[in-house]
Amino acid sequence: METALYLTRRLLQALAVILIVTVVVFCLLHALPGGPARGILGPQATAQQIAAFNHEQGLDRPLPVQYLYYLHTLVQGDLGTSYTLNEAVSRLIEQRLPKTLVLTVLSALLGLLLAIPLGMWQGVRRNKPVDYAVTTLSFVAYSTPVYFLGLLLILVFTQVLRWFPSQAPQGDTLAQVFADPLALVLPVVTGAASMIAVFSRYMRAATLENLAEDYVRTARAGGSRPGAILWRHVFRNSLTPVIAMLGYYVPVLFGGALVVEQLFNYPGMGLLFWSAAQSSDYPVLLGCVLVISVATVIGTLLADIVQRIVDPRVKTERI
Amino acid sequence: MTAVLQTATALQPVAGYRLSLRRFARNRLAVAGLVVVVLFLLFCFAGPLIHPTDQTHTDLNQVNLAPSGAHLLGTDAVGHDEFGRLMFGGKVSLLVGLAAGLLATVIGALWGAVAGYTGGWVDALMMRIVDAGIAIPALFILLVVSAITTPDTLGLILILGLVSWLVPSRLVRAETLTLKSRDYVLTLRAIGGTHGRAIGRHILPNSVSTIVVAATFQVADAILLVAYVSYLGLGVQPPATDWGGMLSSGLTAAYSGRWWLIVPPGLAIILVVCAFNAIGDGLRDAFDVRGRG
Amino acid sequence: MNVLRIEDLGVTFSTDTGEVPAVREVSLHVRPGETLALVGESGSGKSTVALAAMGLLPGNSRVSGRISVDGTEVVGAGEAELAGLRGRTVSMVFQEPAGALDPLTRVGAQIAEVVRNHRPVSRAEASAVAVELLGRVGIPEPERRASAFPFQLSGGQRQRVVIAMAIANSPALLIADEPTTALDVTVQAEILDLLRELAADSGTGVLLVTHNMGVVADFADRVAVMLEGRVVETGPVEDVLLRPTHDYTRRLLAAVPRLAVGEPEAAEPAEKDGAGSAPVVELRDVSVHFGRGRHTVRALREVSLTVRPGETVGLVGESGSGKSTAARVALGLVRPDSGSAALFGSDLARTRGRARRRLLSGVGVVLQDPVASLDARMSVAECVAEPLRVHRRRMSADERRIRVAEVLELVRLPRELAGRGPRELSGGQRQRVSLARALVLDPRLLVADEPTSALDVSVQRTVLEVIAELQGELGFACLFVSHDLAVVQEFAQRVVVMRDGSVEEEGPTMTTLLRPETEYTRRLIAAVPVPDPVLQRRRRASPGLEATA
Repeated sequence: METALYLTRRLLQALAVILIVTVVVFCLLHALPGGPARGILGPQATAQQIAAFNHEQGLDRPLPVQYLYYLHTLVQGDLGTSYTLNEAVSRLIEQRLPKTLVLTVLSALLGLLLAIPLGMWQGVRRNKPVDYAVTTLSFVAYSTPVYFLGLLLILVFTQVLRWFPSQAPQGDTLAQVFADPLALVLPVVTGAASMIAVFSRYMRAATLENLAEDYVRTARAGGSRPGAILWRHVFRNSLTPVIAMLGYYVPVLFGGALVVEQLFNYPGMGLLFWSAAQSSDYPVLLGCVLVISVATVIGTLLADIVQRIVDPRVKTERI
Repeated sequence: MTAVLQTATALQPVAGYRLSLRRFARNRLAVAGLVVVVLFLLFCFAGPLIHPTDQTHTDLNQVNLAPSGAHLLGTDAVGHDEFGRLMFGGKVSLLVGLAAGLLATVIGALWGAVAGYTGGWVDALMMRIVDAGIAIPALFILLVVSAITTPDTLGLILILGLVSWLVPSRLVRAETLTLKSRDYVLTLRAIGGTHGRAIGRHILPNSVSTIVVAATFQVADAILLVAYVSYLGLGVQPPATDWGGMLSSGLTAAYSGRWWLIVPPGLAIILVVCAFNAIGDGLRDAFDVRGRG
Repeated sequence: MNVLRIEDLGVTFSTDTGEVPAVREVSLHVRPGETLALVGESGSGKSTVALAAMGLLPGNSRVSGRISVDGTEVVGAGEAELAGLRGRTVSMVFQEPAGALDPLTRVGAQIAEVVRNHRPVSRAEASAVAVELLGRVGIPEPERRASAFPFQLSGGQRQRVVIAMAIANSPALLIADEPTTALDVTVQAEILDLLRELAADSGTGVLLVTHNMGVVADFADRVAVMLEGRVVETGPVEDVLLRPTHDYTRRLLAAVPRLAVGEPEAAEPAEKDGAGSAPVVELRDVSVHFGRGRHTVRALREVSLTVRPGETVGLVGESGSGKSTAARVALGLVRPDSGSAALFGSDLARTRGRARRRLLSGVGVVLQDPVASLDARMSVAECVAEPLRVHRRRMSADERRIRVAEVLELVRLPRELAGRGPRELSGGQRQRVSLARALVLDPRLLVADEPTSALDVSVQRTVLEVIAELQGELGFACLFVSHDLAVVQEFAQRVVVMRDGSVEEEGPTMTTLLRPETEYTRRLIAAVPVPDPVLQRRRRASPGLEATA
């Protein structure tokens, strides 16, 4: 029952956040120059045509009413129509989102698989040369703009070494994407680099904190060996804060995807967004923002739920 | 219940700041970072006085030259001296980064302090807004904004600041919550002290270390963000430029082997952002602050 | 053969601020079946000795001398050899049960781990052993409890689990470092009983590290007193506690507040003047709850409490009794859900703004934690002068300085301290600065919430003396919250015993504490050990001793 209560509360919080996001997007929608009308009808439109368009679209009613109307359309899954591609935004996103998800999930998995052991190793070997070396590398990786890193990787691995193709898989379906695994390597690695840097730091900090905890001393006093203590006790306790941070890292992953897709010409949501920005295709832009924000909120929620499963303390809320 | 105080360790004969300074000085990476930042500041601001170059007029006779004695880093596609352009672009990158980072910290600190101190539904609402802000990736919002307008430098600083204040707000809120329940604040309230006095005289001064550490990381992030923004074509417009813009315009050149157009600005970004991160890390250890992992 | 033999032990730590010699030339021994108490205040090095015997000292330490545990040399031994000893030949019980167990592993599994470290048994067998051990340390329903997580157990239960881990492989030596300091006094008594029983059953030698003389009198066979890293006196417990030879031991024993037991004819102090005048604090049927729904905690249940001008009321109870909450209601920091709280005759709920501030200016507050009670960014003078800035804005800087000097003198602190920062002061000095700050406005009421609980015994004595003396001089009323019955008995004219949010019993101190009316109060008093081994033995033999001479 505790879980049910907690879940409801978290869901309500998530909904509140999503609502606030819709408000932000709605405000942006209405900050567009000349309004949506000019965007659709073009710069040659006369004042009359614009007024007619506005009336037809209901854009001359008071803002709060428009907002409710907007919510209504959102709930029905209608995100508007692209100006340039002449397709429903929701359909476009439906096509592209899975591919972006493949990229981000693979990057995240690679990032975590490398970052967690690395961070723990650093924590155990604190202030030894290994720690300094990895810390410096992490700083560099974190401070390198993703596109620069991607550029370097492309230059080295595709031009000089010719191991991988310089473009990501171009297919439309997921099957086609996976059919060309070599082409996925560089994009995924580029996306994972910054994540490895950040999460190895988190893991290192969590490991250091846990190594200083009393229960490590108790285990040593009972005769447990350092290796056993590390894996049986410290590891699990250090994972919890790291998993919590994962939820907040989702927007960063999507931001990275934007740049990676543009660099490797990968037809996912990021590239869609990028082209839309070039052509001022507002419905697509705002639709993407909305979808990605909702994805983030869901991601954070999932991370919280995973945390509760792993850490039993979170189950019973104290006052 | 009762924990016998270890008086031996509670006694710190050296005042807080001096001890922190000593700890910082011992962190080699952090000190190296400080040196790098100072060097770059000198390079970008004092450099042009020693090595003046023309960054506004094009010189089509000197296009795409490789590095030589006359042009240490060669020239770009319109004839600008790359070495001088590095200084020129650096001014913008550094200034905008510093200003945006500080702005983000100030907004975030105020927001977080008010939320943390007030508590209750005000706190909950303010933090849901922060959550919503975090949920929207900064790059996406920036692209949308750019599709609407092209900001000038001041506008750029403002927008970057408005997009980045979220993380410091959470840190300062956490710090405020801790400080709010410290005994000396409780005592002050018990004898009739006002909220204003509690915040102004106790909570804010004691949050300074957290805020300073957050500010350093924000500056690092802002410089990186500026580089992204300019790379995507949304930053300052030519003939002005910054390191990100240099990378953007040098992209095609990279494929034809003209490395001198992208390696210097790329390295500059990496070094400076790295340096600020190292300083922030060092400060955080020196002040013994919790925060961004 | 001795289970523990320490010869000429020296331990030095390398810290940020230089080399710190924590232990110097310490020699002692523990025989099988006997309990040696290692006593001292903070900084004496007693915990360091205990950790050294386990080979658990931190990396920045240098050890010289010899430590032999059941024949095996510990100093200089390799980690693998030490791991073989720990949990089998020698085990340790630590002070803080809160963090001592891995929060993500079930307690049964943690005990089983210690078993499997030293015995080649299967997982199932180890789990069975764990359940049996849980039963032996007095945990009810051990099979069910074995699958509980540490956060689901109380502090006392967690300590029992730690003890179970310590006795799992029947060690020759058990080291207990302040095993009951973090526990309530009744729980403390139970844990000590358990330890005594286990040691007696199995002939284990016990090294008990503590600062509490009462616990020593209750438990130990022999005592070693430590001061600044050296052992200054050793001997059988009766000799050391009743006929101390070293000056420091004598001073230490003199500073311990002693609970008077079995002397009901002690004189009742005369009723203070002002018994008839309006009460300074009056709580009437106050109820307070925290949290919501399922997790509501009823901190106070219809509590009524009065403090009259000039008198000291001791508010005692164990953790969770609500005593601190009651003090905070009196200070206006917590608003009661029902009932009324009045300060100097005005209802706190109905007094706001300037009137409220004026009301609160008559109160001085001293809280428990010496580290957090002063803002480290302000100098001592600024800390003490703060109430002046809040209420007497028209005072000039000079006048403030004079008043601060006056009040520092009252608490027996040298004037030179005014310019220093709190970080440069000791715990006792900080509490006195806190006291000076509380008195700077010449209050009519002093509320002290565990003001000396975090201090060493000798320091505690000074601070308490200062408070008592000042009360005599300045005549303020005092609401003194404490869990330490002995301290309250020395100080307060009236005592209020609280339990689970209600008032259990109240009345004049001597009467209530020597002739308690309720069973709970009797148990509470019986659980407090006095530093007299002979008396302690008699009390243990016949628990109803309190009522008779």
